[in-house]
Amino acid sequence: MVRNVAERAILPARNLLEEVGDMMILTGRTISAALRPPYPYGGEFVSQFLFALRLCWFPLLLSTVALNYAAPGLQAANFLTLFGALDRLGGIFVLAAIREIGPNVTAIVLAGVAGTAITADLGARKIREELDALQVLGVDPVKNLVVPRFLALMLVTGLFDIYAILFGLFGGLLAEMVEGQPVGPFWNTLFANASTTDLWGSVLKCTIFGAIIAIVCCYKGMTASGGAEGVGRAVNQAVVVAFLAIGAFNYTFTQMLLATHPNLLVIK
Amino acid sequence: MNELFALPREWLAATGEIGRFMGTVMGDVWGGRVLHFFGESLRQAGILIVSSTLVIWALMFILGLICGTEGAYFLEANGAPAYAGVFAAWCDLREIIPYAFGYMMAAKVGTGIVAELGAMRISDEIDALEVMGIDSMTFLCATRLLAAWIVLPFLYLAGMGGAFLASYIAVVQQVGFVSSGGYLLIFWEFQNPPDFLFSLIKAMVMATAIVLVGCYYGYNAGGGPVGVGTATAKSMVLNLVLVHLIGMLGTQVFWGNNPNAPIGG
Repeated sequence: MVRNVAERAILPARNLLEEVGDMMILTGRTISAALRPPYPYGGEFVSQFLFALRLCWFPLLLSTVALNYAAPGLQAANFLTLFGALDRLGGIFVLAAIREIGPNVTAIVLAGVAGTAITADLGARKIREELDALQVLGVDPVKNLVVPRFLALMLVTGLFDIYAILFGLFGGLLAEMVEGQPVGPFWNTLFANASTTDLWGSVLKCTIFGAIIAIVCCYKGMTASGGAEGVGRAVNQAVVVAFLAIGAFNYTFTQMLLATHPNLLVIK
Repeated sequence: MNELFALPREWLAATGEIGRFMGTVMGDVWGGRVLHFFGESLRQAGILIVSSTLVIWALMFILGLICGTEGAYFLEANGAPAYAGVFAAWCDLREIIPYAFGYMMAAKVGTGIVAELGAMRISDEIDALEVMGIDSMTFLCATRLLAAWIVLPFLYLAGMGGAFLASYIAVVQQVGFVSSGGYLLIFWEFQNPPDFLFSLIKAMVMATAIVLVGCYYGYNAGGGPVGVGTATAKSMVLNLVLVHLIGMLGTQVFWGNNPNAPIGG
């Protein structure tokens, strides 16, 4: 009885640790395969980049405008109205759109849209034993399939961060106009409070989000098993693990950035 | 250029079909037809509790921590660290935690339903149900919707408690610009029962949409194992957009121009 309970408690924990370790190993193999010649993944890299771009631009546009209009836009404007200080809304958008919502929504949408597509694609290949066939032919699946996806997702996530920030600011402007305010003071307080550190912090964070998504989704796709249900289950697990990893990394990064750069916090 | 607009156009075409599907399932639940399979509903509710609760709470907790951190540093910069509670209360209750719930619902429950129903469709189990004279849409989709309505309000409210705790930990224990009493006074002062109810309504509308979208994509999956994977990925796209749109509409409707705060006039 006691042994039974202990097994039920310990087994999932051990599986989880093993899986995390496997993902770390895959990360290491991906990076070393990306750096070591030859470099056969150019074409696949371009096609994956365009694939992610085509799939994500529209959901990301809708999501960022909606989230920034509602959360920091309307709610913060409500709060500032109480003090008659609606012109300060731009300052809040440095915190909201640039530091948090931009990278987070980009990562959530990329994981949900491009990441799931990658897992479904690789999982289907695994189920049809195409990955094994590649290995028999002497083609390394990590170098030819994982590396281009890893690099493309990192690049596209970092670039999409800028796009998300731009449309986030558009959402903020929308809120400012709904409140019947001139937009000049919005830009004024925005640029007075924005700093280069915030921008590179945002882009760096988002690029690392892209790497996390690529590794998790490729790993889950390449280890799918069990027929039709297996691919679906792999996609399900991939997106859950990716979301949790994004949240955990975001918390650590934000704490470190804010605690080590007190100059970010001076209100101008 | 044509390729760029393929996705929006596809959505427009699918919207009508999804709407009709949603109407049918909701009708099954409202009309009480689902009560023939009440046992199956309870079983689905049990599965939902056992398999999904912890991960949903985990994401709500993490975003609660982030709300607390940002609030503590932002209000410190304004020279009013004691008011971190305002930021945390509004960020948790009104905006970010409903989104966290929606994201994780879409990821865990939504795609889970697609994978499960899609596999049933591929292996012809749904057709077998029809042959046996069981209304498959009621048995598979309406029972899941009823199970979600039974379980999720409680799951959401408990997760909200976890997020409040997370914000408290981040603001008071970790960053520590404000004392525990000073934080909690402002935190509870800046929220009230209507806020709580609106937040719950927002989350439940998101959850309903996610379960129905998941059922639609799973029920209509096709094209072998690859088809199930593709359908799962597609459902996630639609779910994410719906979560954000519902969140925006909820804020606009419930708090549009009304701060609902205990200061000012």
